[in-house]
Amino acid sequence: MSTGDAVRPPVAEIRDLRVSFPSPKGRVQSLRSVSLNIMPGEIVALVGESGSGKSVLGQSILGLAAWLPGVEITGSVQVAGVDMLGGDERRRRWVQRHLLGAVFQDPLTSLNPTTRIGRQLTERGITLQQALANLHDAGVPQPALRARQFPYELSGGLRQRTSIAMALGTAPIVSGADGDGIPAAGGQVGTGGAPQLIIADEPTTALDVSVQAQIVLLFDRLRREHGCAVLFVTHDLGVAASIADRIVVLYAGRICEVGPARDVLARSSHWYTRALLAARISVDTPATAPIRAIPGTPPNPASLPLGCAFQPRCVNAQDHCQEALPDPMPRPTKDGPGFVACFYPEPLLTAVTPAAAYDLLEVAAAMDPPAVRPGTALELISVTKRFTIGTGRFGIGTRVVHAVSEVSLAIESGGALALVGESGCGKTTTLRIACGLVTPTSGSVRWGADAGRPQLVFQDAGSSLTPWMTVGALIEEQLARRGVVHKERTAGMLELLARVGLDARAASARARNLSGGQRQRAAIARALAAQPRLLICDEPVSALDASLAIRILELLQTLRRDFGVALMVVTHDLGVARRVAERIAVMYRGQIVEEGPVEMLFTAPMHPYTEGLLAAIPTTEPGRLAPKLAGEPPSPIGTVQGCAFTPRCPYARPRCTSEAPVLRDLGGVRRSACHFAEELGAKP
Amino acid sequence: MARFLLARLVALVFILLALTLAVFIIDAAVPTDPVAANLGAGASQALIQATRHALGYDQPVYVQYVRFLGRVLHGDLGTSLRTHNPVAADLAQFAPATLELALASVILISVLALLLGLWSASGAPGATAIRFALVSLASAPTFFFAIVLIFVFYSWLGVLPASGRTTAGSATGFVMTRDLWTGNFAGWLDGLRHVLLPAVVIALGPAVAIGRVLRGSLVDAMTQDHIKTARSKGISEWAVLLRHGLRNALTPVLAMAGLQLGLVLTGVIVVETVFAWPGLGLYASEALVNSDFPAVIGVTLVLGGVYVVINAAVDVLQVLADPRLKDQR
Repeated sequence: MSTGDAVRPPVAEIRDLRVSFPSPKGRVQSLRSVSLNIMPGEIVALVGESGSGKSVLGQSILGLAAWLPGVEITGSVQVAGVDMLGGDERRRRWVQRHLLGAVFQDPLTSLNPTTRIGRQLTERGITLQQALANLHDAGVPQPALRARQFPYELSGGLRQRTSIAMALGTAPIVSGADGDGIPAAGGQVGTGGAPQLIIADEPTTALDVSVQAQIVLLFDRLRREHGCAVLFVTHDLGVAASIADRIVVLYAGRICEVGPARDVLARSSHWYTRALLAARISVDTPATAPIRAIPGTPPNPASLPLGCAFQPRCVNAQDHCQEALPDPMPRPTKDGPGFVACFYPEPLLTAVTPAAAYDLLEVAAAMDPPAVRPGTALELISVTKRFTIGTGRFGIGTRVVHAVSEVSLAIESGGALALVGESGCGKTTTLRIACGLVTPTSGSVRWGADAGRPQLVFQDAGSSLTPWMTVGALIEEQLARRGVVHKERTAGMLELLARVGLDARAASARARNLSGGQRQRAAIARALAAQPRLLICDEPVSALDASLAIRILELLQTLRRDFGVALMVVTHDLGVARRVAERIAVMYRGQIVEEGPVEMLFTAPMHPYTEGLLAAIPTTEPGRLAPKLAGEPPSPIGTVQGCAFTPRCPYARPRCTSEAPVLRDLGGVRRSACHFAEELGAKP
Repeated sequence: MARFLLARLVALVFILLALTLAVFIIDAAVPTDPVAANLGAGASQALIQATRHALGYDQPVYVQYVRFLGRVLHGDLGTSLRTHNPVAADLAQFAPATLELALASVILISVLALLLGLWSASGAPGATAIRFALVSLASAPTFFFAIVLIFVFYSWLGVLPASGRTTAGSATGFVMTRDLWTGNFAGWLDGLRHVLLPAVVIALGPAVAIGRVLRGSLVDAMTQDHIKTARSKGISEWAVLLRHGLRNALTPVLAMAGLQLGLVLTGVIVVETVFAWPGLGLYASEALVNSDFPAVIGVTLVLGGVYVVINAAVDVLQVLADPRLKDQR
């Protein structure tokens, strides 16, 4: 921020905003006295876990909060001097049309599925020509073609770029022509063609890590070129670190701390921020390094404590914290003004520094790797799966999808393998083949000799648990299937619940009464009831907040050690993969392109795709914009000549387009499908 | 899209063929001997045999079907036993009255369903009361509802006629369309007064059914994420509802509309009888009473064909409303 900006009035001014709405468990206090200014041209990251109220804050600025059912709002939100909560609806719409842009999490559902993209882009009264220019600006190739298409015809990354192009397409301000609600004096009138403020609500969460890096870079460029401010709502401190000028940390509807990104990340003042940073599953953290999980669970927003909401989980909490709510106080910063809402930001206990105080937090997941036993738990031998899509009537227009091609994998008894790759790479189909849900077109699947079917744990445990059955009944059903006699089932069920860290009360609960972390534990308990030799987990923690995710990964490790169960974890998150597995297999367009021990792949990747994936992951280093892996995840339809990764490969040579590489054994411990794997491995 | 339309068209031909086959089987299964019935009780056995041979009734069944199909395709539906006119000519005479009644009903259904759906989805005051009243009315049997309407509006209030298409007397042909075309406003108004009661009787049930589906799917559509996006653009709530909500709510509504229009076709037979409306329904009910099988077959073919064509059109409309469906069917 230059000094010239400081004298300009803020784009958005939020004062003492309080938002609540009803829920079955009581009134949810979503925002509790939040005050914040967003200055012209700055990128503010709003960081918080689910339920922290971060999305509600974004919607309040957009003037959409009134649409939440049963909502009660007090305080004020002004954009360019116009009240976005109440007051004149026409003036609010004027601001929405001319000054604000919105980008939401899921580009699949946030675009109208039945309307052509061009019509959606021009809805605020811009010309088609301008809309095409915006598409081009947002990095959408062939804008004229895209404008005639429907959202479903585009890939996820292109859809999100389209959403951003739509956010850019604010109506130009022509003085006099739009006299129905010119904002009050004090509000500035933009240059037209670009919004003054874009609210981006988790815009990269639904995207692959490579596409996420591209979108983050895009926001950074748009800010520089158009001078628009961005409120970037995210749960990921890494994403926040890479792009934000300022970071706002939200917990239970209140701001914990706010300040320049560098200060918040490198010199955090609030214990929640410190705990979040310590609990972050980073791709740089070796599997054996200790991670300090945040003790306890996030608060129930329907029954918040009287005092500081983080107090029950805080290592530095004092009696006073239970009784009073801390207000934001100025905090020492280097790069600009900042505030922290904590009575005791300095460590008070035996620890002298905040860093040492982390050691008082529980140490999680820093255990010895579980023993691998002789024998194999799973073996995939040259597994291939093809299917045809298209209308198929009279065989016209069908196309072949090569979902999985010649995949060979083995997991030792008690071992753990992570299968990583972007969406559409075939990892889910491989998972389904591995557990026998899908029959491969060719190749074979072998499970361990004495083992039954592998058990599955899904990403969304909530929808994988039968809604009308209690958790206890679900587990007992599984026990009965295994032949456990009736009178032993309850005891067995309670023991399983205890093993996954749930108390006996969970037995009589249904899935909807449990939190996300508890559901995932219940799903794991049900899977364990079958005494599997192999547990297959599909994105087991991607729906969970960071502080809960680490606990689930810890649980999976414990189960391996105690039950000798092998793990196959399918994930797009390389940090999770590094934490949970000994070996990693990287998939690209239906094929394994690299496979080997975790630490080898992370420290010296021998396939350019692995290298690109690793580089695309955001770290909490401030201002480090992740280098982008060019292009989009490929379509699995049809066949390609040569190496499928060539179009995105920075090292591609003529041989790559003519000759398809095979997965080669390298030194007996790892495999790579790159012609030039050795050269890549020899890089410093 | 062209490929999709072609595929639908081919399917349509096959369904229509199946319809003719079904009608042919019903015709063949009827225990009356059409030849004997045609010639009368006094005909000699030799004459019956000769006529049977001349009409091809001694041929194998599949040959008879192919010949039947050939006749249908040439518009030859036989001769009515009651009117002694060619059935095709009878149908051409009575169809316009039914078409006009059906058209009036469809307009009424669309308006009522749209009002009911939009009103109750928007949660405006009085929506619950309106919905309750319409559902109650639609629950009554058609003939009972018709009689109540006649009693109230004809016998009691005396504001609307209870039978026929015009005050001048029963008329065939496109009466209202012709009046509208020639600018005979008084005549058109007279036709409108006559068509109002039967159209309301036919329209109410389907309108309530379609309106309820519309309401449900509209409420659903309005909670989708892209509605939030649309609202964030600062367009009016009506534009959000009509441009973004309604379009995405149409698929189940069109499916329901296709089914309900089938009910309209059957409803026509009852309603035309009650209101002495000189259309296909009245013709069919008289044919049924008089065992006039060629006429019954003719009406069945026409109404069945219309039903099949309507539902094929619904398929196409659904894809136009939601292009994602194209790859799924």
